Amino acid sequence: MVFQAQQAVRAAILLFFTVLIFKFHYTGEITKFINPKYIGLSQIASVLFLILFFIQITRIWEKKVHHHDHECSHNHGCDHNHDHGNTPMTLKKVISYVIIAFPLITGFALPAKVLDSSIAEKKGGMAVITGKSEKASSNESTNEEEEVQPSDTEVLPNPYGEITQEEMNSLVQKLKQSDPIVMDDYVYYLNYEEISKDVSSYKGKEITLKGFVYKEEGFQTDQLVISRFLITHCVADASIIGFLTQFDEAATLEKDTWVEATGVLDVTTYNGMEMPFIKITDWKTIEEPSKPYLFPLNVRIL
Amino acid sequence: MNRIVRTNLFDITGLILLAAAFSLLTLKLDVGDILPSSFLNLNTIFLSILIEAFPFVLIGVLIAGVIQIFVTEEHIQRWIPQSRTKAIIMSCVVGALFPACECGIVPIVRRLVSKGVPLYAAIGFMLTGPLINPIVIASTYMAFGNNAAIAGWRMGLGFAVALMVAFLVSFFFRGHQFKQALVTTQTIPVARKKEPFTKRFFSMLTHSIDEFFDMAKFLIFGAFLAAAVQTYMPAKSLLEAGDGPFSSIAVMMGLAYVLSLCSEADAFIGSSFNSIFPTPSVLAFLIFGPMIDLKNTLMMLSVFRAKFVFSVLFFVATTVFLSIVLVQSFL
Repeated sequence: MVFQAQQAVRAAILLFFTVLIFKFHYTGEITKFINPKYIGLSQIASVLFLILFFIQITRIWEKKVHHHDHECSHNHGCDHNHDHGNTPMTLKKVISYVIIAFPLITGFALPAKVLDSSIAEKKGGMAVITGKSEKASSNESTNEEEEVQPSDTEVLPNPYGEITQEEMNSLVQKLKQSDPIVMDDYVYYLNYEEISKDVSSYKGKEITLKGFVYKEEGFQTDQLVISRFLITHCVADASIIGFLTQFDEAATLEKDTWVEATGVLDVTTYNGMEMPFIKITDWKTIEEPSKPYLFPLNVRIL
Repeated sequence: MNRIVRTNLFDITGLILLAAAFSLLTLKLDVGDILPSSFLNLNTIFLSILIEAFPFVLIGVLIAGVIQIFVTEEHIQRWIPQSRTKAIIMSCVVGALFPACECGIVPIVRRLVSKGVPLYAAIGFMLTGPLINPIVIASTYMAFGNNAAIAGWRMGLGFAVALMVAFLVSFFFRGHQFKQALVTTQTIPVARKKEPFTKRFFSMLTHSIDEFFDMAKFLIFGAFLAAAVQTYMPAKSLLEAGDGPFSSIAVMMGLAYVLSLCSEADAFIGSSFNSIFPTPSVLAFLIFGPMIDLKNTLMMLSVFRAKFVFSVLFFVATTVFLSIVLVQSFL
């Protein structure tokens, strides 16, 4: 019986990955990393790690040192060309195990952080926000013809599930008729796109929304953006969306403060681009919500 | 007697590891205040890329294990057409039908090549696998305001680029191009029909584990680099660099490369740039990213010679760039 230290390290790494993913699910932190739609997939990963761990522990105690040719003779034709973890430990290998263990250390030791306005700035900030509406207004006409009769059936919000094209159209219809507009997380992105597409027809409507404060150079002191991150798959693909707002106390609000605000929609130009703009009438600071991110609706195509 | 000791040893080692793992669950270090918040941002993005990639990587190494143990060289010879052109077209079509992700595809490609699939065919498969599949089509369609044109161009042009790169590889490279260190003793294949299924299944799983450890360090390093780029590199400087029609294509391709987004998720990011950059550049972003990116290059470097990896990178980059320039007027 020979104790194979490297095999033991590998087993431990596999197990720790299982536990790390399990921990994120158990504590609910997982929604700070990925779109809840993909939670099942990452649970599969956790289970696969566990299975591989159980396979791996059988290799920790070997009758004798496993040689390459030995394995080849009884297992299979040997055209394989990778490391089985039996060759002696070298510096290169130590480094690679350290690299693999690195996410385990940071994952267990450091808290998951909700992306903040510094990331928003790195992601392009206002250039992306204003760009969104500019692009939207240019293809406005193509969407105009999809006039749908308002349906009586209330769309049941089915978070993370797919909705049909009709259900989406009726959500759009609902938005067009509503005043005040309430930006629920579920429809936030849909409404945001619709409003950006056709700002002028929403002008004068009252709107209630929440988000974190984002500021950039070039803003007037009474201006700030109430913004959110949209996550398609994981936070690495977060894109920033938000509404430019104006109110007197804006200067006193720090970046990254979460606010809930009500105001009146208007149109403004920013750097020569037309975009929606909210004159805030009422606002309050709130705690960061437990689910700070937005997720796009999944419309069934086929 | 020996056997009892042996089984107990497994149990004991397993239990010790389990105890260690669960003690980690309660671990809560207060280092959050010491580290700058930008590092916490970086770490969150880094871990999220890994959490997102792991299912695909694990599925990839399992498929690689299946290929290693259950597919023989004779199978491959029977399946792959002799003619180079036919083999390339077939590999690209198979890749298009195969719903892969770029994180999981490198181990599969490596196994295929070691089983005797011609290198050019394997590369064709690697390029179309992550780019053309139902999930990517659907997400692209949605991200661009239910507009089928971009999704169509992405698939069509992507397929053409993959074909061209596969042909280029077939002209310039022979053999398997594996790293020297990986080419170990080749022995005579043993008839494996004699092995019982459970044993073969077990060795498939151990192969998958070894494959995972081969890939993981590159995946993790790549994910960390990509996260660092996102946290510290302002997009604004990129936006300013990409002013002209040609430079904007190059900038968007560079962005796709360093961000290393999953092909299933890059469409919304692409669409958020649609306003700042002309449509052809965004299309370049959407085609180039899934084919090859930073994370993927590192994973390829774990398998293939550096010269080969960078040649493929160069082929893909120039073909994508030139084909976008060519079709620009139609967009």
